Amino acid sequence: MTGNEILALLPFVLVVGLAMAIVLVDIIAPHRDELVTVVGVTGLLVALAVTVIAGPLPSGVGALPAGGQQVLGGVYARDGLTAFLDLLFIVIALLSLLFAVDYLKPRALPMAEYSATLLFAISGAMLLAGGRDLLILFLGLELLVLPGYMLAGYAKRDGLSTEGAIKYFLLGSFSSAILLFGFALTLGFTGSTRIDGIAAKLAPIVAGQAPISIGLAMALALLTTGVAFKIAAVPFHYWTPDAYQGSPTPVTGYLSVGPKVAAFALILRLFVVALAPLKGDWLPVVVILAAVTMTLGNLVAVTQDNIKRMLGYSSIAHTGYMLVGLAAFAGAPVGSTAESQGLQAMLFYFVAYTFMNLGAFACVAALQRRPGVTSQIASFAGLGRRAPLLGLTMTLFLLSLTGIPPTAGFFAKAYVIIAAVQTGGWVGVLAVIMMLNAAAAAFYYLRIVVYMYMRDAPENARPLTIGAMTRAGLVVAATGTIVIGLLPPITNAVFDMARQAAQAVL
Amino acid sequence: MTGNLDAYLVLSGLLFSIGTFGFLARRNAIAMLMSVELMVNAVNLAIVAFGTFVPELKGQGTVIALFVMAVAAAEATVGLAIVIAIYRNRRTPLVDEYSSMRD
Repeated sequence: MTGNEILALLPFVLVVGLAMAIVLVDIIAPHRDELVTVVGVTGLLVALAVTVIAGPLPSGVGALPAGGQQVLGGVYARDGLTAFLDLLFIVIALLSLLFAVDYLKPRALPMAEYSATLLFAISGAMLLAGGRDLLILFLGLELLVLPGYMLAGYAKRDGLSTEGAIKYFLLGSFSSAILLFGFALTLGFTGSTRIDGIAAKLAPIVAGQAPISIGLAMALALLTTGVAFKIAAVPFHYWTPDAYQGSPTPVTGYLSVGPKVAAFALILRLFVVALAPLKGDWLPVVVILAAVTMTLGNLVAVTQDNIKRMLGYSSIAHTGYMLVGLAAFAGAPVGSTAESQGLQAMLFYFVAYTFMNLGAFACVAALQRRPGVTSQIASFAGLGRRAPLLGLTMTLFLLSLTGIPPTAGFFAKAYVIIAAVQTGGWVGVLAVIMMLNAAAAAFYYLRIVVYMYMRDAPENARPLTIGAMTRAGLVVAATGTIVIGLLPPITNAVFDMARQAAQAVL
Repeated sequence: MTGNLDAYLVLSGLLFSIGTFGFLARRNAIAMLMSVELMVNAVNLAIVAFGTFVPELKGQGTVIALFVMAVAAAEATVGLAIVIAIYRNRRTPLVDEYSSMRD
């Protein structure tokens, strides 16, 4: 192996090693939550630095060539997209760790188990980000979801947590089997396991020289269904609300961001590269999924009184918005700028969504620091005066989720809508549906703001303290949400990274 | 393996459908887990058949099938652990009765 190959694999290896190191630390010095937190946060910061050093990032940052570095004969590659997604996954892991510390301790839940499981899941996500072979993609996906089921059922004495976990597990493994059948048919009927090899084999079908075989059509249907389960698109979203409501709140925050972005990473490798020649065939499905997902997600979210369930349905709606970006890619002619704009908008959306959605769940977790505080929206009554910092940050995250300028959420939605309008046709109609949805969503997001500032706190409300780790995480998430929206240099930097990442798969 | 590829694929599809039916029809968490295992093994049969009959995949099919078996074993482990955890809480393996979160 050359030095560049080792450097390309290093971020992934570091995260796996960190997970194992935390298991070791817990064996040598059991029940030392602070020690585990320090090891975890330090290790992740090192991994973040190594990912930046490895690159390849825009304007020549990073040691690896801008075109990407292939590893192990091309089954894994570190290109612009891998670097972009790896940075995002490490930030997700970092924030999920910071937000968990103060929530787990009062409940006597062990930090070491949470950190190790979380890091194994993140390593799976990082494998998905760089995988260029169907087998690697499948292994990455399973490495991502198996620790996810464990995290969902992590509060094992709590009936709700195990109930959410079993629903997540049963539907998750069912969808994995469907996806695996799709993988098997794809590799069988194209005779290749490499994603670029599959794309090359499919090219004659597009040129009209060969009809699409029944086997390939079935493969496409199975892959679409499997992936739709994983990103929680309507009508394959049934597990989402229960899994999100039942899980411990920091886990819910992770589940709503990590596995979703990682499943989109799978879509980027599988649909955007391997199945790109067939994009005319899967475009109508994506358009319908996007329209139904965002509309139903928002409609049901309005009726929810449980904040975790409401944010769960809201995350389904956000899946729909991300799918609009994918539809903008698929609907545009091959090689056009609209094609790349759709992908860029989707990637930008991931960044904004990570900060604002994790931040919102962190506020819920901070509010629930003392065991026994329910997830009912009424718990937020008078929060603006009880805990000004928490009220302020929660308001910021909710405004960003609504898409109000100058937050990151506004630019994310705007870029997706612009890309969809550029592509036009039925994708243009999606842009209109998305705008209507964003307006309707304001109703239930702002309802929480009303509770926080215009309702009085219950008389027996005890004082609320925010832990140092949660405070640090909230500052990071809030800074991300504001700075990406408000400071044009930062907005452009994120957008440049998204552009280079999109170039890697076009 | 002898015979033709289509026969193996039809058998694999049939097993997969039985697994899918079992998953959708049964309400016992353990039975649903077994159905998923049947689906995964049906896929494995298809993968091994492709490895035997498709010249480009010679030798690759069996390796992929081994990986899939390892993943299926890990999945079953996690699944059974979760089933045991919820059985301790609820004293029933029937998923219909896990409904304390319905809205």
